[in-house]
Amino acid sequence: MDPAALSSQILIGLSRAMILFIVSAGLSFVLGVLRVPNIAHGSLYMIGAFAAFTVATLLQRNPAGFWIALVVAPLVVAAVGLVIERVLLAHLYQREHLMLILFTFAVGLVLNDLVKIVWGADYRSIMPPPLLSGAVSLGDISIPRYNFFLLILGPIVAVAMWLFVNKTKIGKISRAAAVDREMVGVLGINVSWVFAAAFVIGCFLAGLGGALVAPMTSISLGMDHTIIIESFLIVTIGGLGNIWGALIGALIFGLTQSVGLLVLPQFAVVFPYAAVVIVLWLRPRGLLRSVW
Amino acid sequence: MNRFVESRWLGAVAAVLCLLLILPLFAPEFYIYILALILVTALLAMSLNLALGYGGIYQFHHAVFYGVGAYAVALMITRASLPWWISFIAGPMVAALTGLLIGWFCIRLTKLYFGMLQISLGSLIWIIVYRWYDFTGGDNGIHDIPMPVFLMSTNSVYYFILAIVAVCLIALYLIVKSPFGATLQAIRDNPQRCEAVGVNVRQHQLMAIVVAAFFAGVAGVLFVGLERSVFPNMLFWVLSLEIFVMCLLGGWFTFAGPLLGAAIVVALRTFVSQYTDYYTMILGIILILLIFFLPEGVMGFILEKSMPRTQSSEGGR
Amino acid sequence: MNKKAFATMTFVLVTFALLAACAPAPTATPVPPTAVPPTAAPKPTEVPKPTAAPAAKLERNIKVGIVDTYTGGPAVYGNDALNGWKLALNEINKSGVLGAKIDFVTRDDKYAPDTALSMAKELVLQEKVDVLVGTINSAASLAISAYAKEQKTPFIVWIAKSENITGKSGHRYVFSTSENTAMAGKAGAQALAKKPYVKYWIAGEDYEYGHAIADSAWNNLKQLKPDVQKAGETWWKTGEPDLTSYLNAIMTAKPDAVIFATGGAGMTNVLKTAKTIGLSDKIPVWVHTAIDHAVLKPLGANAPAGVMGTMDYLFYYPDTPTNQAFAKAFQDAYGTPPGFAAFHAWTTANLIAEAFKKAESLDKEKFIDAMEGLKAQTPIGEVEMRACDHQAVLPMFMGVTKKDAKYPDFLIAGDLVKVEGKDVMPSCDDIKKARGQ
Repeated sequence: MDPAALSSQILIGLSRAMILFIVSAGLSFVLGVLRVPNIAHGSLYMIGAFAAFTVATLLQRNPAGFWIALVVAPLVVAAVGLVIERVLLAHLYQREHLMLILFTFAVGLVLNDLVKIVWGADYRSIMPPPLLSGAVSLGDISIPRYNFFLLILGPIVAVAMWLFVNKTKIGKISRAAAVDREMVGVLGINVSWVFAAAFVIGCFLAGLGGALVAPMTSISLGMDHTIIIESFLIVTIGGLGNIWGALIGALIFGLTQSVGLLVLPQFAVVFPYAAVVIVLWLRPRGLLRSVW
Repeated sequence: MNRFVESRWLGAVAAVLCLLLILPLFAPEFYIYILALILVTALLAMSLNLALGYGGIYQFHHAVFYGVGAYAVALMITRASLPWWISFIAGPMVAALTGLLIGWFCIRLTKLYFGMLQISLGSLIWIIVYRWYDFTGGDNGIHDIPMPVFLMSTNSVYYFILAIVAVCLIALYLIVKSPFGATLQAIRDNPQRCEAVGVNVRQHQLMAIVVAAFFAGVAGVLFVGLERSVFPNMLFWVLSLEIFVMCLLGGWFTFAGPLLGAAIVVALRTFVSQYTDYYTMILGIILILLIFFLPEGVMGFILEKSMPRTQSSEGGR
Repeated sequence: MNKKAFATMTFVLVTFALLAACAPAPTATPVPPTAVPPTAAPKPTEVPKPTAAPAAKLERNIKVGIVDTYTGGPAVYGNDALNGWKLALNEINKSGVLGAKIDFVTRDDKYAPDTALSMAKELVLQEKVDVLVGTINSAASLAISAYAKEQKTPFIVWIAKSENITGKSGHRYVFSTSENTAMAGKAGAQALAKKPYVKYWIAGEDYEYGHAIADSAWNNLKQLKPDVQKAGETWWKTGEPDLTSYLNAIMTAKPDAVIFATGGAGMTNVLKTAKTIGLSDKIPVWVHTAIDHAVLKPLGANAPAGVMGTMDYLFYYPDTPTNQAFAKAFQDAYGTPPGFAAFHAWTTANLIAEAFKKAESLDKEKFIDAMEGLKAQTPIGEVEMRACDHQAVLPMFMGVTKKDAKYPDFLIAGDLVKVEGKDVMPSCDDIKKARGQ
């Protein structure tokens, strides 16, 4: 195998893993703190992509348009998340986990149709900002500049999440609440707002993932479908609720796919599922310690 | 449950059954078709509930067994030209075998891990069905599957489905009430204690998965009888999620809950879609309202209202 | 839970419900069964037009049932078709069809074939439609086709491109007004056979349409130019968001040319990624529907130039008055140029109207007899419904994407060549063979 090809596929696989990681980290965080398997996460990701499209298109003339979109779109999604959490979800925490699955499923149905109402059915596309457009040529192959940006951003998000969970008060509380929520409540901490914050952060990350993928793909209805199953699988193999697990899971997904493509290009569809089967066969509770 | 309540329920079941029996005499053909579809979907949801509600198993990819049963029949009839009745009997067997295989792999795992591994394994089967164009028809599916003459009219298919579903539901009920069913529920409520008193937890759970897969296979066979078509999305995870939702919606701690859930989802899809393209949104809103106002599911609510005194005996869940 | 929370929650949900009810429907405002497009209602006293023949009158309006996808990615085409259909009906219903009008109802199948089948049954059994029309999903079309045969109800496929619909699985009750994979692949192969490329890579979305297009193109190409070689194949799942790794792997293999077989959103995605990593600059690329406006529009001026594509309808070519008129009417009505789905739907509507005029009856068998060999005027000229396989004989246009001063906002196809439908369609004998007759 051509080493240049291999290294370029590894780089692309890594950058692809970064988006998967950001989305899965949000899912994992919510799963860890709130114990809610949020099936609407994919819909929130889709809203992020569409919101990024709207903002970037409105600010087409502005050279910073994309960067503004990258900040605004996740905030929009976070706001949606806040409304969902405060108005609906906050009243349901005592319910069975399975009932919460039903709830998030229903929210996803509503959100998907809302996206159709707001944005219509046309395919959309935005371009990366001038700074990041085009590709870097390495011999015969080339890697889009945008992928390098993702390679830088992914670790930043990971570190930020780590700092948030370990260094801030609210992060520490949420970590404690993930382990034993009654205890935290007994200590006189308003768990309700901790949960709200956790959910909003999860939504923000979904929106960020959507905004980040927007320049790489065509933004269309139904893009929630692929991401939700992939991110659930990633979260599972990494260890439920473990952010670093999400990172490892995303890397496994990204790399098996891009490197696998060089070996068996016609069976690309099988890779993620096969990866999950192998990992869970070896480590039935995920790779890293789970909070579940 | 006391005897009085029991007889009242028996009466209700008998009345519903009578109604279902005479309905084709006056109802329009389309309603008979939809009823048949509801019965098939209900059997599918109730088979899932054996594992989910009674076994406490996170059976996340139940649709695989439904699809495998359906495809087994379709392939045996169209590719191997086997007589229909052999295929109809073999279909559920193949589904049960698939259940055994997937179950054996997954049973070491618990909760969400179990569910996600099942989704992965099920998706691998889905990929085979979806891609093997020469054999399974790929994503086009198989259509125009020949059926015996007596299954060609809507009414006769309906009666056939009604009979099989009724038998299956009785069988499921007996399983739930059997010592096996009781053990299963005990495992659901406290697996550690069951293990401690010498129950082979995994064996029981595996058995529940196989039985559930068998009945899902029956539902798949009936679907082929009704629609004479099979599609790969019958074993896609989206359908699994839908039947999962039917169980939760109807009430997964009740026997008949999933039936009700299936009826609600199919009926909403059929009738709301005649007025708006946004019927999934309407379904979502209705689900949210139900979650808020009927925490135990629709059937749970009905049970609670109809016999408040027995609530404590059902266990304080 | 306190009362206030309940009140807020209920309020929000009701608002959503209202939103859903009166949404600025981008798709059809689903017409309640009896509603007619708001054109002048026929007056009962209206005297038949003074034509020469003692024109037969239809005893009631014609009812068409449409099952298609108005949700998810494929909704772009579902909506486009519906708009084309409505535009055609506005015209048709002005003069009427033998004193009657064409009414229609729509159902959204959400791209699920089982739902589509269930809805088709509802349209036949409950709505008692005279003709079924749909859908973009090949599996759904094949399933409905089998049901249509059983119910002896005509079913016209207007977007789905599986060649099985009028090929292997064809029968008396199914028609197609869409080009199919056999035609598209052959047209592409004819274009590629003239090029010097030898080593080909085939890549696409892993579903029937992708494989069928690729197979058809490859088999035809192999026949026309036996020395071509297949260097390899890559298939990704539908809806795959990031194609960089796939396309990069192809670039590494250095084929002479690539055949991409994807559709819809996936196509936009391929073009976008191909441009970003420079694949389309280095390696010649052929894709069916690469020159589709729905694919090129989202990319705006950033779409790659120089990609070879085939298409059965373009709103700017042929540049004839009829096509201009159709494109303009469509643009005025819906704010966007018509896509190929709109064209198919427009053709379908006119074929239906003409067939009922010819049949002079609402009888389904007579309608089918009338459809066979029927010729209808379309924006790009006369289109015939071939009698032997019920496949509309549609020309194909081959071209290369390019920037054009007339359309600064998006790319169009240049160097266009028209291929006659009869040259790329399987022969009637082939069809007979495929159907095992």
